[in-house]
Amino acid sequence: MAAMSEVLTNPLRVGLRQERVVSPQCLVIFGASGDLTHRKLIPALFELFRQRRLPSEFAVLGCARRPWSDEEFRQRMAEAMADDIAQHSSAWEQFSACLHYEPVDLQDPPTVVRLGERLDLIDRQRATRGNRTFYLSVSPAFYGSGCRALAAAGLLSDPARSRVVIEKPFGTDYASAQALNKVVQACAQENQIFRIDHYLGKETVQNILVLRFANTIFEPIWNRNYIANVQITAAETVGVEERAGYYESSGALRDMVQNHLTQILALTAMEPPGRFDPESMRNEKAKVLQAARLATPEEPWKCCVRGQYGPGGSAERPIAGYRQEPGVNPQSTTETYVATKLFINNWRWQGVPFYIRTGKRLPKRLSEVVLTFREAPVHLFDAAGGAPTPNQLILRIQPDEGADIRFEVKAPGSGMRSRPVDMAFSYDESFGEPSDEGYVRLLADAMLGDPTLYTRSDEVEAAWRLYTPLIELMEESPEQVPVHPYEARTWGPAAADNLLAEDGLAWRRP
Amino acid sequence: MAAQLTLQAPLALPPAEVQPYLQRLWSTDLQGAAGASTFTLVIYEASWLQQQLIRTGRLDGPITGLLDRSLIEQAKQAVADCGLPLSTAAMDQRLAWALGQHPGQHQPEDLRGQFVDTAISEHMPRRLITLAPTLDASLPLEARVAAFCPLVDEGAGAAQACGDVVVLRGGLGSLQQGLPLVDPLVDQGLPCWVWWNSSLDEAPELLDALARPGRRLVVDSSLGAPRRCIDLLVERIQSGQAVNDLNWMRLRTWRESLAMVFDPPSRREALDHVVQLDIDVEGDHTLKGLLLAAWIADRLGWHLINSFAVDGDGAGSGVGAEFQRTDGATVQFRLMPVPVGVPRTHPGAMVGLRLICAPPGRTALCVILCSESGGCMRLEAGGMASMELLEEVVPVPDESEEMELARLLGGGHDTTNPLLAAAAPVAARLLPA
Repeated sequence: MAAMSEVLTNPLRVGLRQERVVSPQCLVIFGASGDLTHRKLIPALFELFRQRRLPSEFAVLGCARRPWSDEEFRQRMAEAMADDIAQHSSAWEQFSACLHYEPVDLQDPPTVVRLGERLDLIDRQRATRGNRTFYLSVSPAFYGSGCRALAAAGLLSDPARSRVVIEKPFGTDYASAQALNKVVQACAQENQIFRIDHYLGKETVQNILVLRFANTIFEPIWNRNYIANVQITAAETVGVEERAGYYESSGALRDMVQNHLTQILALTAMEPPGRFDPESMRNEKAKVLQAARLATPEEPWKCCVRGQYGPGGSAERPIAGYRQEPGVNPQSTTETYVATKLFINNWRWQGVPFYIRTGKRLPKRLSEVVLTFREAPVHLFDAAGGAPTPNQLILRIQPDEGADIRFEVKAPGSGMRSRPVDMAFSYDESFGEPSDEGYVRLLADAMLGDPTLYTRSDEVEAAWRLYTPLIELMEESPEQVPVHPYEARTWGPAAADNLLAEDGLAWRRP
Repeated sequence: MAAQLTLQAPLALPPAEVQPYLQRLWSTDLQGAAGASTFTLVIYEASWLQQQLIRTGRLDGPITGLLDRSLIEQAKQAVADCGLPLSTAAMDQRLAWALGQHPGQHQPEDLRGQFVDTAISEHMPRRLITLAPTLDASLPLEARVAAFCPLVDEGAGAAQACGDVVVLRGGLGSLQQGLPLVDPLVDQGLPCWVWWNSSLDEAPELLDALARPGRRLVVDSSLGAPRRCIDLLVERIQSGQAVNDLNWMRLRTWRESLAMVFDPPSRREALDHVVQLDIDVEGDHTLKGLLLAAWIADRLGWHLINSFAVDGDGAGSGVGAEFQRTDGATVQFRLMPVPVGVPRTHPGAMVGLRLICAPPGRTALCVILCSESGGCMRLEAGGMASMELLEEVVPVPDESEEMELARLLGGGHDTTNPLLAAAAPVAARLLPA
């Protein structure tokens, strides 16, 4: 398959993606001097600008403690995005005119009052109509106090015109998530609060919904009567990189499983909503998460495996183990790999195991959902592989985005032997255009006031509650869920394979 | 979407009193509230068809300016009654003119400008100024003023003070004379949209006076003579004004459907080898089809060699043209007016499109797009048996003018859509002199 850069652009597609234009407003980014702002947020806004999905009555107000001026902020963003800007210099010139900066310390009320005055001025200068989206790209420790400061300054008082976006992680366990929800809900109404999970911004994750609910062929068999098990995998080839400080206190369970993979689980397992609107969608997601349980909640060590990558690679290209990474405690017991088995106790899924795994320094970077169907009740034919391969539906989230259906066909020849083949859908082959970065979609949605792809308080709490037995065990008796070492660039510890082997299954080797 | 009235009965005022009254209203009665910091919307709301249907007793009043279902049904009936061709669209200005020849003296209440569609009111316009010309050209200028507030969700903040509504009503001559009242009512600090909700053929001086540079113009190029409409579009776009054309916006599903056909990379190369483009439109208003052809030509880098009128088989004149592709080969273009029994509301609606690509050494590809509201048998006929045929049905969006306008107001740009800006000059050259 040709690489994306080699694919001819569809000239008729250029300029057509304007269907959802953001309303006039000011986006206020707290933590504007931080990494996320110049790596993700401003590039995403620039992309929206180039797609003409931002109105002319639009402004970005960067806020942080550093005493930058508007011009300095623009300059720093331009330096960080130099490559992107080089190809679109005139667009950047126009876009950067809407970038502003105000030194604000959310812990210092006078500066927040001054922020309100600056926003009023921007409303007058750029006709942004009093619509404001506040993006908290700050340390999680300041989510609650940041919301309080905004509320105290009256900046969240109009639910129709103000909203607040909160980055992950939302809490570190069930209790802290509950406490944080109480704080932010005291400052703003739930429909003003946008808890971001950037996996939900991925085109392929959203496609799970379309595949399930825009077709009639899948939903009738999407249940315990036809599906034997479900595997959800998010594998990374990279290690901890520069995030050791955060990762040491978080680990794979909090960093990936509780949020991203659990959201994929919810989309895969939820009931069809009555309508595609935010509340209907989130009601169904919350319901299915509330019905989810660890396979053995009283004995979590039986259904969960933790691992930590050790050294690996080759003599020429050795890979450091996690404990050898800069910033990591050499005695660290933080897990970089988690595999767990869940059940969903409802009519649709009773008895169907859901296996979830994620890890760093695995052999491939990929995310996928694999639904394995029950075997045919009678084997009429010889199978090339000894026994017929169960049908599988594989939803490839990244990379090589698409979907495969695996089924048996007659192998050519005079006999009646069957063998499995794949019927494949590829985003590249069907659409040929790269999808937007998740932040492009999610930022636009937040500014449009559409929380469909954001997580509601009950969803977040249900997701934390689901893993509470495991988290408590990890904290109180970590020796009961030992961290198994695994060699970097392998598929995790053997104990994870045993988790499935006990059920007569194996992880899919993509 | 249901329309809503202003929250208080509009106050009739001598026109000269409007500005002082509004100043008093905001400074005293509304206790210095600043009003929504949004935009001013100026609407020229002729509603000739509705006025004529009501005057001749075909429709009950009041006059609202809204294009609702009963109005369209009665308009379709009137097409036959007036002896117009069945292909005549309800919004074809010839229908209102023909109705004007019929007797009738019904004089309903005139509520134009006092109805605010929810889709528009949700954007909280700071001021809505409606110019409502009356059938009776001798009527003097009347002014109505009302405070206006969108219905907000319970629990919304108190700062929802909103805007006001000004209606200027009278004969066209009176409206012209009342123009000096309009400019002081437009807040210079806020964006101003001017929606010319009528034929572009009428009252050019009034249009020029309202749609001054810097204001964002909304027009419908299906209303008015194609030459006048396209020339006005091009002139305004080239002057740097932000121009939004509802006729162009209604082509959205056609552009999307055609682009979708060529999304798979395996088909993209075929776009370099287009040899023929055919478009069928309803009735004799060719502009919508020409705008679509111009968009395709612009996107594919074709150069227009010549254009000419062709015999439209009894339904008016069609347009023929030759383009030169980037590789020098020729593309033949035909736009044909097609008589239809059940036309859509606006003149010149798309019926079908056929694009034939002939890549060397490969099977020719024929793409046919048909409107879901009718077939396109003419384009399906003849000579395609040896080609790879791709046929798609283009959905007909069911959105009101107000919804389209609200879409613009909700995400306003102060420049013209670049695709329209590029296509309009090509369409102007495609239209034979």
